[in-house]
Amino acid sequence: MLTLSCPSCGANVDFKSKASLFAVCSFCKSSLVRQDMDLEKIGTISELVDDMTPIQIGTTGMFSNEKFEVIGRLKVGYQDGYWNEWFAILGDGRVAWLAEAQGFYAFCYPFFDVQPPTRASLVVGRTVDFGKKGIYEVDDIRDCKCVYSEGELPFNAQQGRASTSVDLSGFEDEMATIEYAATETRVFLGAYQDFDAFQFKNLRHIDGW
Amino acid sequence: MVGNPGEPEQPDEKPVDPTTPPPPSKPKVKTFSCTACGAPVTIRYPGATMSVVCDSCHSVIDVTDKNYEILSKYFSKADLYTPTIPLNTRGKLEGKTWEVIGFMVRSDVASKYYWMEYLLFNPYYGYRFLTEDKGHWIFVTMIKRKPDNKAGIGTSITGLSRVQLNDRVYRIYNRGLSRVDYVIGEFYWRVVVGSQVTSVDYIDPPEMLSNEYDETENIWSLGKHVDTKEVEKAFKIEGKTPKSFYASGIGVIEPSRATAEWKKMGPLWALFLGFLTCAQIFFSGTAKNTIASQYVGNFVPNTKINDITIPKFNLEKNSANVKIAMTAPVSNSWFYVSGEMVNNTTGASYPFEMTSEYYFGTDSDGAWSEGSTTHDLEISSVPGGEYYLNIDTESGDFKNTNEQSYSITVSRDTPSWHNYWWFVFLVSLPPLYSWIAMRRDEVSRWSNSDFNPYVSNS
Repeated sequence: MLTLSCPSCGANVDFKSKASLFAVCSFCKSSLVRQDMDLEKIGTISELVDDMTPIQIGTTGMFSNEKFEVIGRLKVGYQDGYWNEWFAILGDGRVAWLAEAQGFYAFCYPFFDVQPPTRASLVVGRTVDFGKKGIYEVDDIRDCKCVYSEGELPFNAQQGRASTSVDLSGFEDEMATIEYAATETRVFLGAYQDFDAFQFKNLRHIDGW
Repeated sequence: MVGNPGEPEQPDEKPVDPTTPPPPSKPKVKTFSCTACGAPVTIRYPGATMSVVCDSCHSVIDVTDKNYEILSKYFSKADLYTPTIPLNTRGKLEGKTWEVIGFMVRSDVASKYYWMEYLLFNPYYGYRFLTEDKGHWIFVTMIKRKPDNKAGIGTSITGLSRVQLNDRVYRIYNRGLSRVDYVIGEFYWRVVVGSQVTSVDYIDPPEMLSNEYDETENIWSLGKHVDTKEVEKAFKIEGKTPKSFYASGIGVIEPSRATAEWKKMGPLWALFLGFLTCAQIFFSGTAKNTIASQYVGNFVPNTKINDITIPKFNLEKNSANVKIAMTAPVSNSWFYVSGEMVNNTTGASYPFEMTSEYYFGTDSDGAWSEGSTTHDLEISSVPGGEYYLNIDTESGDFKNTNEQSYSITVSRDTPSWHNYWWFVFLVSLPPLYSWIAMRRDEVSRWSNSDFNPYVSNS
């Protein structure tokens, strides 16, 4: 783990994953971009509006017999709501995402062995062929913005970062997400899983529950 | 480490991670003034809730909007409907605690048939719906997995009559437009009174698959029947659910005991009948069918003869049936025999009587005939030994009064279907009763369906 100092307040800023290029200081909420051993402050993340999520940075869970730990969060908002994408690190240093919305949880991994379809070619109901990974069907397409971020993340997750998120579903509980951001397009493949199956530990306390 | 999600827990059990300070633990309830009427409006789950209904004026307010924009204003000034389970009540269903945060009345646009839906919330497990339809309750979970149609063609599923999910096949029950008539409480979407979606229900009791879709969404959910008593106990509203006279018939996916019994009994019955028939065919095939005695006697027509003794004959085997067959030359006349078969050793007697009659003629409908020149009867379980017959004969309506002859044949161990049919009848009574009970329940279940399989379309 790499520990650097916040250029704004001097507090320790941890980087558990080598893939992390961005962090939010947990004390002064400065948003920081990392280049090797240097941190540069690019802004401040404003306070989180009320949220009911039970996940927090430090939550651990199990997926596909592998333990993961949540190390960062990207909360995105769209016209009809918001969802959380929790950045997670696995035991061997690989990274993955835990997507959480309205009690649905999906765990997915970055997938590089495919040329993603263009944004313009996708409509709800269309299928996308991910080769050996199977055929997926587009469930929804949403334009969204980063409304909050914390912890460490693999890209610059400044508030207001715009992207288009396309959710797809495959065989049984399989899911995929294609994210079209300003400079890059990323594909994630994974599956939905029930809350209990994750065997979450170190969940956030929710008042009254 | 926290306890089980949904259970009360001790906040001080949580580890304090120095690098991530615990999130604010202040009460989350948020209050603001209704944009329409100024009355205070409370949001219990801000951040999760997108729209809330003002208690005072029933305006629906968008809480994601900074100015608390009104989504629908004064759609109803009075409390038109009272939820059976009050808002903000918590109860345990399927092992988890749920809080009722919203209540809707929805109806089918075409038939005006309406039902209630409760929105349940648990911050760990998300949202569920509990529907109340004329005293029948269904616990509904939204699902991400898509059902298949039987041909496996994915989701463009509007014309399907059967869909499959996880090895269960669900049959279409209703399809129509559902409208939101009335709302109170808070919702995770922008609820709009009067909004309509197409909804299709498929059932395989005690489960239901529902598909609701419009231009922007296509949502599948899985419903499971919940006993009224379980709902009452969970939300501590014992005796407050509408009384049983209100609960009409069987619920859409309420399990029927009669149907369950029939499903068990039907195949068992078929199996048993099959076995019985095989056994019957086997025993018929192996019956020896020997002639023990053949007697030919003379009679003068239209007279009575008493006390004819037919010579002794031997019946083999320890116990088997005996068939007595009589043939007489009747033609627009009758011949009657009564008597007994007597065991020469024990004196045990088997009385019998039989009639041969055969009539024919012509009337306005043409030629007709009835009866037969032969008659036979069966005596079951006759012990082996030496027997003789003692008979009286009588006849009538003969035109030809010359002496004529009749014959009586005694056969031993003949193939017999007599007992078989009795057995089939008796064995079929309970399944028949079960089938009738099953049908009564299923006819009631499907009576509100546009796809009722118990009504022919002709």
